[in-house]
Amino acid sequence: MTAVRTLDPITTEIVRSAFSAAADEMNATLIRSAYTPIIYEMKDCSVALLDADHRVLGQSAGLPIFLGNLEICTRLTEEMYGREGWQPGDVWIMNDSYLTGTHLNDMTVFGPIFVDDELVGFAACRAHWLDVGAKDPGGPMDSTEIYQEGIRLGPMKVVDGGVQRRDVADLLGRNSRFSYPAVGDLGAQIACVRTGQRRLEAIIAKYGKETIDAARDEIFAQTERFERAAVAAIPDGVYRAEGSLDNDGNGTDPCWVRLTVEIRGDEMTIDLTETDDAKHGPVNCGEAQAISACRVAYKLLINPGNPPNGGAFRPLTVEVRRGSMLGAEEPYPCQWYFTPLGLLIDLVVKALADVLPDQAAGASYGDSMVIGITGIDHRNGRPWLDLEPTVGGWGAWRGSDGEDGLINNVNGSLKDLPIEVLETKFPMRMTEYAFRTDSGGAGRWRGGNGIVREYTIDCPEAQLFLWFERSVTPAWGLAGGGDATPPVVVVNPNTGHERRMLKASRVALVRGDVIRTMTGGGGGFGEPRERDPEDVRRDVRNRHVTPEAARDVYGVE
Amino acid sequence: MSRFRVSMDIGGTFTDVVAYDEEAGTYVAGKSSTTPHDLTEGVLDALATIDSHPELCGFTVHGTTQGLNAFLQRRGERVLLLATAGAGDVYHIARGNRTRLYDIHFRKPTPLVPRADIVEIGGRLNYAGEELEPLDVDAIRAAAHRAREEGFGAVAVAFLFSFLEPAHELEAERVLLEELGDAIPVSLSHRIAREWREYERTSSTVLDAYTSPVVRRYLDRLEAALQQKGLRVPLHVMQSSGGIVTAQSARQLSLQTLLSGPVGGTMGGVALARMLDRPNLICIDMGGTSFDVSLVVDGRPDVSTEASLEGFPLLMSVVNIHTVGAGGGSIAHAEAGGLRVGPESAGADPGPACYRRGGTQPTVTDANLVLGRVDPAWFAGGQMTLDVEAARRAVATLADELNLDPVELAEGICDVINAKMAQAIRTLTVEKGIEPREFALVAFGGAGPMHAAFLAQELDVPEVIVPRFPGAFSAWGMLETAIRKDFARSYFTPLADLHHEDLAAVLAGQEREAVEALAEEGISESAARVEHALDIRYVGQEYTLTIPLEGADEPAADGFPETLSSRFDAAHETRFGHANPGAPIELVAVRSTGLGDLGRAEPQRLGSRDGAGYPSEEQAIVFGRRERSARVARRDDLQPGSVVEGPAMIVEATATTVVPPGWTLRVDEFGTLTMELS
Repeated sequence: MTAVRTLDPITTEIVRSAFSAAADEMNATLIRSAYTPIIYEMKDCSVALLDADHRVLGQSAGLPIFLGNLEICTRLTEEMYGREGWQPGDVWIMNDSYLTGTHLNDMTVFGPIFVDDELVGFAACRAHWLDVGAKDPGGPMDSTEIYQEGIRLGPMKVVDGGVQRRDVADLLGRNSRFSYPAVGDLGAQIACVRTGQRRLEAIIAKYGKETIDAARDEIFAQTERFERAAVAAIPDGVYRAEGSLDNDGNGTDPCWVRLTVEIRGDEMTIDLTETDDAKHGPVNCGEAQAISACRVAYKLLINPGNPPNGGAFRPLTVEVRRGSMLGAEEPYPCQWYFTPLGLLIDLVVKALADVLPDQAAGASYGDSMVIGITGIDHRNGRPWLDLEPTVGGWGAWRGSDGEDGLINNVNGSLKDLPIEVLETKFPMRMTEYAFRTDSGGAGRWRGGNGIVREYTIDCPEAQLFLWFERSVTPAWGLAGGGDATPPVVVVNPNTGHERRMLKASRVALVRGDVIRTMTGGGGGFGEPRERDPEDVRRDVRNRHVTPEAARDVYGVE
Repeated sequence: MSRFRVSMDIGGTFTDVVAYDEEAGTYVAGKSSTTPHDLTEGVLDALATIDSHPELCGFTVHGTTQGLNAFLQRRGERVLLLATAGAGDVYHIARGNRTRLYDIHFRKPTPLVPRADIVEIGGRLNYAGEELEPLDVDAIRAAAHRAREEGFGAVAVAFLFSFLEPAHELEAERVLLEELGDAIPVSLSHRIAREWREYERTSSTVLDAYTSPVVRRYLDRLEAALQQKGLRVPLHVMQSSGGIVTAQSARQLSLQTLLSGPVGGTMGGVALARMLDRPNLICIDMGGTSFDVSLVVDGRPDVSTEASLEGFPLLMSVVNIHTVGAGGGSIAHAEAGGLRVGPESAGADPGPACYRRGGTQPTVTDANLVLGRVDPAWFAGGQMTLDVEAARRAVATLADELNLDPVELAEGICDVINAKMAQAIRTLTVEKGIEPREFALVAFGGAGPMHAAFLAQELDVPEVIVPRFPGAFSAWGMLETAIRKDFARSYFTPLADLHHEDLAAVLAGQEREAVEALAEEGISESAARVEHALDIRYVGQEYTLTIPLEGADEPAADGFPETLSSRFDAAHETRFGHANPGAPIELVAVRSTGLGDLGRAEPQRLGSRDGAGYPSEEQAIVFGRRERSARVARRDDLQPGSVVEGPAMIVEATATTVVPPGWTLRVDEFGTLTMELS
C-alpha cells in the first residue's frame, strides 16, 4: 500500500455486511439453541457485536425495545471493575433493572473478545427468561418493590477463564420455578457470545485490524451522515406530547408520560424529565430502557431501513430524570417496564407527526393486553397456565388504513394461540374470536380494529389474571383522524353477575364462566369525511364499520 | 416404441425439454419458445429439436407453475369460504404476528377471500372430535345458493377440529353437491391438510380453492393435446415435495403442485449426490434476477411439512427453497458516501442496464459484463445480446460518484454481492446446525456457475460442481425423481399416555392408504415403499422434529418409548446443539410417505475421446482489480479428463462458468464440471 487514503468503499461495504452477518449468526445460534418459546418464538432477545469502546458493530433484529441497550452492560461493568477486569475466556451475566433498564427476567450475557492479547470488542446478548423466582409464576402483576420480582444480579462472571462456573448456574437454577429451561437458556446465551467472539476473530484475521478499524470509522461516519441529514430535514422547533397509563397496577391514579422533542439543526433532544415520579406499582423502568425506547421511536422515523451501528443515534440526546417512572431507582418495581415504553414510542411519533406527516402513523392499541388463566385440569389432575398477549388495532397513516388485529410492538413476531391448540391443551372453550367492529379510529385512512376473544371455562375452578391498559389514553388519531375505542374486559357479560375489569390478579372462576376480552383499535389518519365513499362501503360490506357509523361519522349512506 | 424419458419445463419465455435417450444412452436438451395460445406446440417444437415426438416417449414428467402464476398474478377463482360460527375471522386475523419489527406501516398480506365472502356456519366439535352442536345444514344450503347466484368459482370449507372428525365437512360437501352439482369445485380442509391449527389449515384450503381449478383445466388441456399428438403413457407432474404423481391424481390434489417450480433443481441435486457419491450439497440456483438456495443432506432433499407463500401458510410437504436477495438484478448505488448493493432489484423489467430495457442503474449482471465474466453474445443461449457499453456507462456513473475506477467498482460490486450471498448461506446453515465445510456447492441457473467459486471461497467449501445443462437442471432433476404420496394427521398425546396399539393401527391405516394411492399411480405393491415418521417435541416446546420410524408396527414393539425418546434426543442434539434426555416428550403428528420408483435413467458415462485437449481462445477478464488473459472454452469442446486452470471461462448455451485464478476445473466421466482451489 502506498498512498494514505481512507478505506475504499468496497472493502468498507464488505466489512459492514460482515459485521451485520456476524450479528445474524449470533442471533441464529441463540434462537436455535434456546429452550423457551419466549426466545425462539417471541424473539424476546437481542444480540450485538461491540468494539472495544462499546460501540455497536452489528446488531440483529430482536425485540425493538432492546435497541442500542446492550452496550450499557459492558460499559457499566467496566466502570465497576475497570478495563483490567476484562480477561480472555470470561463471560459475564447481569439483570439488575436499575442498570440494564429492563425487568429482572431479561438476562444479559456478554464477554470480551481478545486478539493477540489486545481487547478488540465484546459480544453480548439479552434474552427473556421464563421465571427468575418472583413472588408469582413468570412475574407479578402487583409487585410493590423489586425484591418481589426475582433474583437480582449485578455484573458477575458465569464463565471464568473459559471454564463455566457451576456455582453460578446452580444459583440461577435454584432461583427459577423452571430451572431446567433457565440453565438451558443460559447455555444458549453463552453459545451465542462464543459465536460472536469467533466471528469477530475471523473477521479481524481475514481483513486485518487496521482495515477493520478504518472500515468501522467509515461505517459509523456514513450512518451518522445519513441520520444527520434526516434530522436536519425536520423543521426546527419544540414539539410536545403526553399521555397516561390507566394506573400502576396497584393504585388507581393515571401515570403520565410527558415529553418534548426538540429539533435544532441536525440534533434531536427528547426530554422525558416531566414524566411522573416513580410509581408503587410495577410500571417503572430504568433509565437505560427509556433511552432505548426513544431510540426505537427515532429509528422508526429517521432510519428504519439500515441495521443500527455505533454511528447511529449520534444526533439523539435523551434526558431522563432520576427517580421518575422512566428513571427508576431502588426499590421501585419494574416488572411491567414496557407498558410505559409502548406509550412513549407512540408519543414521540405523535409529537413529530405534524412535521413528519409521511412517516408518522396514528397510535396503536398500545400494550400487550395479557390474560392469564390457571387452575388444575380435572381431566388429568395436572396444573395448567394459559398466558397470552392479545392482538389489537394499529394506527393508520397517510396512504393506508392501519392493520386490524396485530400484535403490539414489544411482543416481536409473536403468533396468537390457535383455538384448536388452546382447547386441546386447556380445559376451556373459545366461543368467539373476531374483529371488534368500529373499534378503530375513523379517518380518511381508518385505524385498524381490535378484536374480541371470548373464553368459556370448562373445569370446576380456575383463576384469572389480567393486564389490560390504555383505557384512559386510547389510541389517538392524527391529522383529523379519530381516536380508537379503548379495551374492555367483561366477566359473564349480560348476566346478573357481570363484572368489568382491566387489571386483576387471582379472580376466582368456575365452570361456565365467560371472559370476554376486547382490545382497542388503532388511531385514524385524516378527516373521516374525506374518505373515499367506496372504501367506506367496502368496510361496511366487510363488517369492519357499521352502517350507522358509515352514516354518522363518514357521511356515507 | 418408447425411446425417450422426457421432462418438460414450460416457462414464461422458453419451453425446455431434457430427454434421456434409452437407445443411445445419452441425455439431450431441447429448447423452443413457449407458445401461450397452445402450450403443446412449444413442447412439440422442443421435442423436435432433439429428434423426438410424443409417440416416442416412454415416460414423461412435467413441472407446472400454472397454479403459482395464478396466485402471483391474483387471477385465481373467486372463493366463498365456509367457517365455524365464532371463528370466521381467523383467516383474516392470521395469527396477528408481525414479520417486520421496525415497521409502523406494517400490513399483513391481503387475504385471498374478503371478509364479506366468509360465511359462518353453526355446528361445533370439541377437542376430542365430539359434537357439541349439530351442523346447520340450512346455512350451508343458503351459502350454496349464494355461491351460484353471485358466480363464485370455488367453495372452501374449513371447520374447527375437522382434522379429528371430518363428519361436518363431509356433510357440508354432500349438501353443496346436492345444490350445485359439480359446477363449483369444493375444497375441504381435512383433505387438504389433516393437521391442527385452524388458520394454517384454512389458508391451505383457500389456496387450494383459489388455484386448483386453474391447474386442473390446464392439465386436462395439456394431457389431451399430448395424447392427441400421440402420447401413449401417462403424463406425470412434479409436486412441491420433490416427488411426482400422475396428472390424474394431480388433478385431485392440485395444491401439491403449487411450489414445484424450483424443486426440480433440488431433486437434480439429490440425483447428483447419488451419481457422484457426495451426500451433502448446497444447491444454488442463480438467474438474472434471482438467487435460491436449497440443501441436500445425507442424500435426501431438505423437506419441511409447512411452507409460506407471500406470507400465507401452507401445510404440505415442501422442499425448502430459500430465496436470498436478488442475485444478478441487485442494484448498486451510493448512500451517505458508501457503496450499497441491493436489496433493491432491477427485476426482469427494466432489468440490468445491459438489457437495454430502460434500466440505468448498474446491477451485478452489468458488473460481470464489464469484467468480461459474461459472454455478451451467449447470454441466455444467444437469445439475448447484452449491451456492454450500456453496462459500462451505468457502472462509470456510479464510479464517478464514489470516486472509484469503473473496473475497480465493477469487481467491487461482485465482491460485495458474493460476500452477502455467502453470509446468507452461512446463516442458513447455522440455523440448520450444518457445517458448510462438509458440503459441496452445486451451481446452476444461468448465473450460478459464474459466482460459485467466489461463494465457495467465502464459505470454505472445498468443491464446486457444475452439472450438465445448468440452465435446464430443473428439467433434468425431474427425470430423476420417484412417485411420492404424503399422508399426515394430527396425533396429539404425551408419550407417557400413548396407546401403542392405537398408534400402530393408525400407521397401518395410513400405510394401506399409501399403498392404494401408489397402486393408482401404477406402482405394484412389491415396488411400493412406505416410510413413517412422527412429529415430536419436548413438552412445552412449540416446534417439532420429524423422527423416522422403522415401520408401521414399531410402536407395538417392546421398549418403544425408550427407543423413540433416545432417537428424538439424538436428533435434537444434532439439530439444536443440545438435548434433554429424560424430559417428557409429546407426539403431535403422524406422517407416512409412499414412494414408488418408476425406474430412472442410468448415469451416462461419456467416453473420453483422444486425450483431453480442447480448442480455446484467450480473452481479457478482470480478477483482483486487473485484466488477466483468461482461457475461454466452449463446454461442448471439453471432454472427460479435460483440465482447465484458472483464470478461465467456460461458455455454453445456458450458462457461463467462471474459473478464478488459483482454481482448477476438471471434467468427470459424466461430463460434470468440478472446481477446486488448487
